[in-house]
Amino acid sequence: MALAIIQETCPMCGFVFDPSARGCSSGCPLASGCRITCCPQCLYSYPQEGRLAGALRRILGRSKQERR
Amino acid sequence: MSSRENTAAVGSGHSIAAEGLSEGDRARNPSDVVVLVGNPNVGKSALFGALTGKYATVSNYPGTTVEVMRGWATLSGHRTRVLDTPGANGLTPMSEEEQVTRDILLGEAGCTVIQVCDAKNLRRGLLLSAQLAESGVPFILALNMSDEAKARGIRIDCEKLSAALGVPVVETVAVERKGLRALSERLNEARPSRFVARYDATVETAIDEAEALLPRGRGINPRALAVMLLAGDESVRERLAEDLNQARLGGLAQLQRRLAAAYPESVRFVIARQRLAAVDRLYASVCARDQSTQQSPWLARLGAWTMHRWLGLPFLAVVLWLCYQFVGVLGAKVAVDFLEKSVFEDRLVPLFDSLVRAVLPAGGLQQFLVGPSGVPFREHGGFLIGRYGLISMGLSYGLAIVLPIVTTFFLAFSVLEDSGYLPRLAVMVNRLFKWMGLNGKAVLPMVLGLGCDTMATMTARIMETKKERLIVTLLLALAIPCSAQLAVIFAMLAGVGSIAALWFAAAVTLVLFLVGWLAAKVFPGRGSDFLLELPPIRVPQLANLLVKTLARIEWYLREALPLFVLGTLVLFALDRVGAISVLEKALAPVMVGFLGLPKESTGAFIIGFLRRDYAAAGLFAHYQPFIRAGTITRAMEIEVVVALVTVTLFIPCIANFFMMVKERGWKTAAAIMGFIVPFAFGVGGLVNFLMRRFY
Repeated sequence: MALAIIQETCPMCGFVFDPSARGCSSGCPLASGCRITCCPQCLYSYPQEGRLAGALRRILGRSKQERR
Repeated sequence: MSSRENTAAVGSGHSIAAEGLSEGDRARNPSDVVVLVGNPNVGKSALFGALTGKYATVSNYPGTTVEVMRGWATLSGHRTRVLDTPGANGLTPMSEEEQVTRDILLGEAGCTVIQVCDAKNLRRGLLLSAQLAESGVPFILALNMSDEAKARGIRIDCEKLSAALGVPVVETVAVERKGLRALSERLNEARPSRFVARYDATVETAIDEAEALLPRGRGINPRALAVMLLAGDESVRERLAEDLNQARLGGLAQLQRRLAAAYPESVRFVIARQRLAAVDRLYASVCARDQSTQQSPWLARLGAWTMHRWLGLPFLAVVLWLCYQFVGVLGAKVAVDFLEKSVFEDRLVPLFDSLVRAVLPAGGLQQFLVGPSGVPFREHGGFLIGRYGLISMGLSYGLAIVLPIVTTFFLAFSVLEDSGYLPRLAVMVNRLFKWMGLNGKAVLPMVLGLGCDTMATMTARIMETKKERLIVTLLLALAIPCSAQLAVIFAMLAGVGSIAALWFAAAVTLVLFLVGWLAAKVFPGRGSDFLLELPPIRVPQLANLLVKTLARIEWYLREALPLFVLGTLVLFALDRVGAISVLEKALAPVMVGFLGLPKESTGAFIIGFLRRDYAAAGLFAHYQPFIRAGTITRAMEIEVVVALVTVTLFIPCIANFFMMVKERGWKTAAAIMGFIVPFAFGVGGLVNFLMRRFY
């Protein structure tokens, strides 16, 4: 079974990258559990999907497949 | 297992051809040296590992802290030394890493280059290919991650690309060792590229004249050196100073000045733009996308309008007005009214009140938690339900006031991101920043600050000089409201007149530019160029917008809500010991006398040290009944503007302060804090003074 490769596209510069290990956890002093993704190209950062957002994506993805 | 050896910096006076090579490297035939070059994050290290196996040495490039990996591989049947260079977006360096990569090429006369390119981001890779072509080094192009590119509907015509560049093009997937045999076999076919990025006549003439003054026989050819020099690359000038006499150096400096005088922008920018145009033509001829990823001509035109020098401004005004309406009306009026009044005030607060009274006996603990019976909660000091109650204030501010406002703002922000407008906004802002002498890379932290100032402060690392980093950190802390605060600002301004809103916008913008301009004068640093690859303008997908907004809400709840609760506890404790009324009295000359605010706003300013948006929420809660009833007076509008200006100019939040400490050190962070707090009150007082006379 092949693992799916999840790719992020940076909203700032359009760079396509693998978001794993791209968190800024070492930087923020108050955010040990902070889920921020940093674009390796331009350093633009934005929150990663948490449980709720991930669940919503799965639900929306499923309903899209069913419509097809 | 790889070994790590830190090499000490060699002394000055080294020759160009020798620098960067170890004794072992220099002893061999240079044609047996292969240098891996590529943009950051294209899989160079993966390819290096796949080619060289387990044994590699890592050492600092002489005189720098940048690491270069060296290993051995058998390529085209020859035992070959392989060097992995730091990721570089260009050969006219803008960072130490790029300079090391350029210096290795400059020093490795006769080496062969494998350019590793991320096939998903081909355009960026071709920009580097164009510079390798210009430098005349023999190279072969490895289109890495080609499987991912195909999966995204990107089709690259390798034969056509190879013909256009005049070098072999090989598709690889380094992590799966795919394409490595072909890469190894075709390495012997590596040659200088025939692709030439032509510049306009003025630049070409200057290049020709500079070439005539430059030495030959270096690792890279004189045309590339001429371009670097004319683009203002001081590092290459310093190196050439050892080989050129004063007359030639003077001639080159004169050429550089003459070319700089011919353009309003920097020559580096002019050259980069014209090179990009040549690369775009090549890219368009070799790369096709599936229909789903193609951009319509209409959207492409719209994208150009949004960045146009004049059309871009009304477009920006419309975008801001739409955000203001969406957040201020839908978020702050409809959603907050419902959540705060109908859910919290009318249902949750009475529900918790009755629950506690039903479970606990009257007196003691019951009174501590929910206050005396029959007294409105805003008039007693209950721990859960009360003036500074955990539920009636902490959760109510966090969930009923700020959450609906930031939700609408996050949705609007996601639209700006997914549509591709945000990077175009950065280009527009860059023009404004040029005026205050802080152009270039400073734009990114500033735009990022609109999302989160704390993260943006960390991003200030990308600035080249310490001075630029300091200015950016100061401006972020001073005048860039984060998303949550911006949302509450939109909400409050929607409740006052448009003229009052303009007063606020003018005051903050003026402070931002005045302080930025003064800081740029006091700490003069070289402005860097701003080169940003723009993603296409797209119609945002609703599903994506919803997921992104929810991801941001989750992040906000995790980060902000605990601080809201902590702030409420602080206020509760201060209220219990009677410190609030003492502080109100002590600060009355400033809050009431100087700023013209009601004494009750003192609490909002105290918690403002934890988070600015919490302070803004406190102000919102204070004025919202008047806004809702339509009874807000002219004096109150002045108070709203003064309070918002003062809070906006505060340190964004306690996390931001600690980030400043971490990034800039205690002394600098304390100095910034020591400047910002009195400055914020000073500007607030000035706005109060001016508005009471002219509003």
